[in-house]
Amino acid sequence: MDNIANNEERFMGLTHGQVFVYTLMTVISILFLFVTNAYLFRMNFEDWRSVPIPSLLWVNTGSLVLASAGMAWAINGAKKSDLQTIKVGLAIGGLFAIVFVSGQTWAWQQLTTSGFFIAANPANTFFYLITALHALHVLGGMAAWFYVTLKTFKQDASILQPESIGLLGTYWHYMLLVWVMLFGLLLLT
Amino acid sequence: MYEGQALYHPKGWWTRYVFSQDHKVIALQYTCVALAIGLTGMFLSLIMRMQLGFPGLFESIDAGNYYQDVTMHGMIMVIYLLTALFLGGFGNYLIPLMLGSRDMAFPFVNMLSFWVYFLSVIILVCSFFVESGPTGAGWTLYPPQSILPGTPGADGAGILLMLGSLAVFIIAFTMGGLNYITTVLQSRAKGMNMMRMPLIIWCLFLATFLGLLAFPALLVGAIMLIFDRVLETSFFMPEIFKGGEVLNYGGGSPVLFQHLFWFFGHPEVYIIALPAFGIISELISCHARKNIFGYNMMVWALIAIAGIAFIVWAHHMYVAGMNPYLGFFFATTTLIIAVPTAIKVYNWVITLWNANIKMTVPMLYCLAFLITFLIGGLTGLFLGNVAVDVPLSDTYFVVGHFHMVMAVSPVLALYGGLYHWFPSVTGRMLDDRLGKIHFWITFVGTYLIYFPMHYIGFLGVPRRYYSNEQYDFIPQSVNDLNQFITICALIVGAAQFILLYNFVVSAVRGKEAGSNPWGACTLEWQTLESPPGHGNWGDKLPVVYRWPYDYGLPGATDDFVPQNVPDEQIT
Repeated sequence: MDNIANNEERFMGLTHGQVFVYTLMTVISILFLFVTNAYLFRMNFEDWRSVPIPSLLWVNTGSLVLASAGMAWAINGAKKSDLQTIKVGLAIGGLFAIVFVSGQTWAWQQLTTSGFFIAANPANTFFYLITALHALHVLGGMAAWFYVTLKTFKQDASILQPESIGLLGTYWHYMLLVWVMLFGLLLLT
Repeated sequence: MYEGQALYHPKGWWTRYVFSQDHKVIALQYTCVALAIGLTGMFLSLIMRMQLGFPGLFESIDAGNYYQDVTMHGMIMVIYLLTALFLGGFGNYLIPLMLGSRDMAFPFVNMLSFWVYFLSVIILVCSFFVESGPTGAGWTLYPPQSILPGTPGADGAGILLMLGSLAVFIIAFTMGGLNYITTVLQSRAKGMNMMRMPLIIWCLFLATFLGLLAFPALLVGAIMLIFDRVLETSFFMPEIFKGGEVLNYGGGSPVLFQHLFWFFGHPEVYIIALPAFGIISELISCHARKNIFGYNMMVWALIAIAGIAFIVWAHHMYVAGMNPYLGFFFATTTLIIAVPTAIKVYNWVITLWNANIKMTVPMLYCLAFLITFLIGGLTGLFLGNVAVDVPLSDTYFVVGHFHMVMAVSPVLALYGGLYHWFPSVTGRMLDDRLGKIHFWITFVGTYLIYFPMHYIGFLGVPRRYYSNEQYDFIPQSVNDLNQFITICALIVGAAQFILLYNFVVSAVRGKEAGSNPWGACTLEWQTLESPPGHGNWGDKLPVVYRWPYDYGLPGATDDFVPQNVPDEQIT
């Protein structure tokens, strides 16, 4: 009686969580699409001076790849009902996401130290805006990561949360994909 | 939070009535806050009207606070009243009930959505109390003037509070919207396939999609404008000289902001209009005791409207200057969107044809909506054409047009919806006599307010002037008309208290409604308890056997057959 998700009609066999996360990712994609459009529009003006991309961003990208790999490991563990693998995967996924965000703030420091202040040029402003918006979305994912990890570390293997871990992993891969595209945009322009 | 999720039960007064996760309580919370801030917006419009009708009568109204009132009135009505009330109020109440679900898919996120919305309203209201006052930049918040000293609220916190409030509102909307989408797709009762959903659910679903895809444009614009204001960046700010000095801006494009704003702004019209369409579809069928004409066509028309709504935005920017071919494109798409909209209007009219029309208060609002939306839509065809829009764009013609189409029309639908579903919420009927008095004053009054504005617009009276007195090209007749409009506005404003009085008194002493006072087919009237209790459906969820408009079915005992009645129980 008390189950609110026991209705019969489903959309394409998806779960509630999948619909929620996929729709959320669509909304976030639209957000970054607008930022990218604005970036491409603004860069045509004559005052645009491209920002030298700090090499640290390559290291940060590597961190995000590792974070994503950690999540893939956790998903794999969930499929096998292997609690230890899940824990290790989640820990790697979270840790390297933190390394990524910390690395991004370090890159901002490097740029400001070199005189590339936020208001000095529109290219600088966009660099800070794009990287900050992406980092904020990674941090939003960290809130979900914290919730799932806390539950996982409290539970035994019999009550795993394969769907939650799967969705978290999907979001992590998605954040990596978005970052690769944004990083490519920054590098190529 | 996923499969097998248990229904949350409140543990005490606070979790039952304040931090409730029940969609019905959240709907009421949204409705009360939206109506309260909407009343504030209405008062601001009356202050504006006092200045326009009787300039100089109130010394406290100066040019600065006039523009602040205009700005806050517009933003409050569009975002914090209509968007919040249609989707947060009606959406929350109707989606789970009409789909045969116990609650929203994510009740906790739903609760958060309301409280974040409430926070956005608080931030907005705070701007009235800061030293600079609220922003007076106009509801479109166009840079550069919106963030330059000299514009009310620009050199203080006013503009920042507005932008911050919008950002917070968008977060609230996203949380609510993700819930609505998931609930509609995932939490339908057995038998409730997509083409058996009531049209209002389709409308709320598509309006939510529009919002989820359009609001990010406003969010990006708001964040970038905050950057320009606080950090003196130049996303939107061109090189500016002030008093012979160059400001710290340069190279930015104000038109970029206009594109971002209107990419949100035009779908926003449909975020408001679609739920209004949905309400009208439900009410017209139920109170005319006839099945809706062309259900499938209605659904596809809605989908077409939602799609085309994203490719018409620049018709708001003709006067900003654009490539003529671009103008041609946007004029064409603007006229094309009239086709699915006209399909809906025709279908409503055909539904009424030979129907057993009951002149209830909700039906009066339906008929008023049809006429008003038609008139507002027709003047929209004028303004959709570049050559006609350019001379009319900055005149009162536009004020008349958009108030008819996206203020009066949705409010008429809104009122019709409130009268229709009030018995479901409270178990009591609203007073019919008071309802009709309120209807006629509101309906006739709004026409007396907005029709003359079209004429004033044709005379070329600019729509943003604080005072029309000192200009030779504005004849005295305009001032006389402005006085007339102001008096009508005061009467219509006062009449809204009849509705409030009716709400309060009827909720306590109104006639008992019974479980299905209108004889409606949709599921929200088929609950075990009336008003529906926590969990909506008792022990067993409903099963759906038919579409939601089975009125006048041959061989049936009653003139309506609810969606959860199987064929063998009809006779």
